[in-house]
Amino acid sequence: MNEAFYLGFIFALFSVGVYCIAVKRNMIRILLGIEIVLNSGNLAFIYFSSLQSGRGYVDPLGQSIVIMSIVIGGCVIAVGLSLVVNAYRHFKTMDVRKLRRLKW
Amino acid sequence: MVIPAPLLIMINPIIVFLVGFLGEELKVEKLREAVAVVASAASVVAVYALYLMVKATPDGILVFYLQALPPLGACFEIDMLGVFMAFSVTLLTLFATLYSVNYMEHDTRLTEFYALLAAMSVGMMGVAFAGDFFTLFVFWELMCISSYILVAFRKENWGPIEAGFKYLVMSAMGATIIFLAMAFLYGMAGTVNFAQLSDALHGQPMSLWLYVVFGLLVVGFGIKSAIVPMHTWLPDAHPEAPSPISAMLSGMLIETGLYGLCRILFLVYEPPAFGTTIAALSVLTMCFANLLALLQPDIKRLLAYSSIAQMGYMLVGLSAGSSYGVLGLTAHVFNHSLMKGLAFLSSGSLIHMTGTREIEKLKGVGRMMPVTTFTMFVALLGLGGVPTTNGFISKFILFSSALGAGMWWLTLIGVINSAFSMAYYLRILKILISAPEEGVQKVREAPTLMVAVTVAMAALIIIFGVYPAPVVSLAESASKALVDELGSYIGAVLS
Repeated sequence: MNEAFYLGFIFALFSVGVYCIAVKRNMIRILLGIEIVLNSGNLAFIYFSSLQSGRGYVDPLGQSIVIMSIVIGGCVIAVGLSLVVNAYRHFKTMDVRKLRRLKW
Repeated sequence: MVIPAPLLIMINPIIVFLVGFLGEELKVEKLREAVAVVASAASVVAVYALYLMVKATPDGILVFYLQALPPLGACFEIDMLGVFMAFSVTLLTLFATLYSVNYMEHDTRLTEFYALLAAMSVGMMGVAFAGDFFTLFVFWELMCISSYILVAFRKENWGPIEAGFKYLVMSAMGATIIFLAMAFLYGMAGTVNFAQLSDALHGQPMSLWLYVVFGLLVVGFGIKSAIVPMHTWLPDAHPEAPSPISAMLSGMLIETGLYGLCRILFLVYEPPAFGTTIAALSVLTMCFANLLALLQPDIKRLLAYSSIAQMGYMLVGLSAGSSYGVLGLTAHVFNHSLMKGLAFLSSGSLIHMTGTREIEKLKGVGRMMPVTTFTMFVALLGLGGVPTTNGFISKFILFSSALGAGMWWLTLIGVINSAFSMAYYLRILKILISAPEEGVQKVREAPTLMVAVTVAMAALIIIFGVYPAPVVSLAESASKALVDELGSYIGAVLS
């Protein structure tokens, strides 16, 4: 029961993130979608680290990986936001539908 | 264990940045270029030193732990395959850095440029050396983040920003999918160390979760290595980046994705479990990319599609699943890094001197820039797989490995595609050497350093085409380390 609940939640979070990336038109919302997908991965790590039984405590490996991955996710989003700022400064738009000049 | 001296080369982005910054402040001309070139040359030497160290060990594997023993500590596990990949990376970085000295001289923010180029190279080396999935992920993101900035480096134009954003969204999505796959592997085995993962999961019957992880791995690494349904960022990002960066992206970065895929598939799965899927993706990749490459009016975009097609050929070796197939794959990674690197650098010289990327407008430029045209000629013939270039050797091994695995149809499709690809390579050559038009009469040959770099690479292509033994024997030991000597890879950590 517990397992289905957690895995279902991880899957739901993943789907929300993918939906956000696929459907939203605003560049910042797309970056937030990436962050949501990354968080589903983080959640999976936290959940699985609590399952590593036999040690008597939650496995610290999963926890430390999550901390590092949050930092890395922050770096990626920072670079992404700087691109959004540049796009907005030059072209006064944050709409990805305008990103259609490169084709084929 | 103490970190050995050659691995200290991984701090060179910091050195390049600090010295470059110092040179800017003190107004010392060309200091940052000099330090960037010296640092990239030093990494080639360092990888050679690592190669000697690996060769001196009894089972060909060096292991270094950071902080604690696995599963808790991060570790580097360096085998022949890692050294081979790192050598290809550092060699191409050296060429790209030398080339950038002239190519980028009119741009600003060059200190950041060289530091990021070094960081990207270190990221790729780290991916090749990583002994656990998490170390791989950290270096993977180092490589990705520096490449996002480098693609969008000329931020005053629209193209780089658009391509950079598209690349960032797709590639960050790929990285998070890899992260999710890592989480599931961790859930199954309780560790992210490669050796322990392989010990726990290799040879197990395929369960639902192993299929899920397989799908996530193929999609996640496939986005980076531009396997066809996931390739859409590549034809935008490669042309919009500055030419030395295109050479790095096309020459090594997408192959690093393929390296990650190979490493983890061979550690966790038996080859029959993934052969058919990879073969299907390979066919799709080859056919689709070759067809679209025919239609391109833009020279760098054409080369970008040709990179996707070459990824298709490399997947043939992976789908064969034997160590002979992986030998073809690794040899082709090295050869492709030289050929595609040279093709992008030569086209960079053409663009630098003429100011256009459209193939039709380059009519007759070959008569004004004979050396660059010659190097382009060598690179394109190599990509097409003409004998006496190194591309022929590795393609031959790749396609014959598919025959050995009983997939004759894959060989057939591969050879047809390879022949078909000559159509668009020869089209470029024909336009370059046809009678010049009005606009190009005043074009001169590119600066000496740029020409020297391209000539050196062309020489390497022909040398390794006529005398392929060094590359093939090194690639052979690399492929054996991946496929046949899996037991000693596991044993080096577990014992």
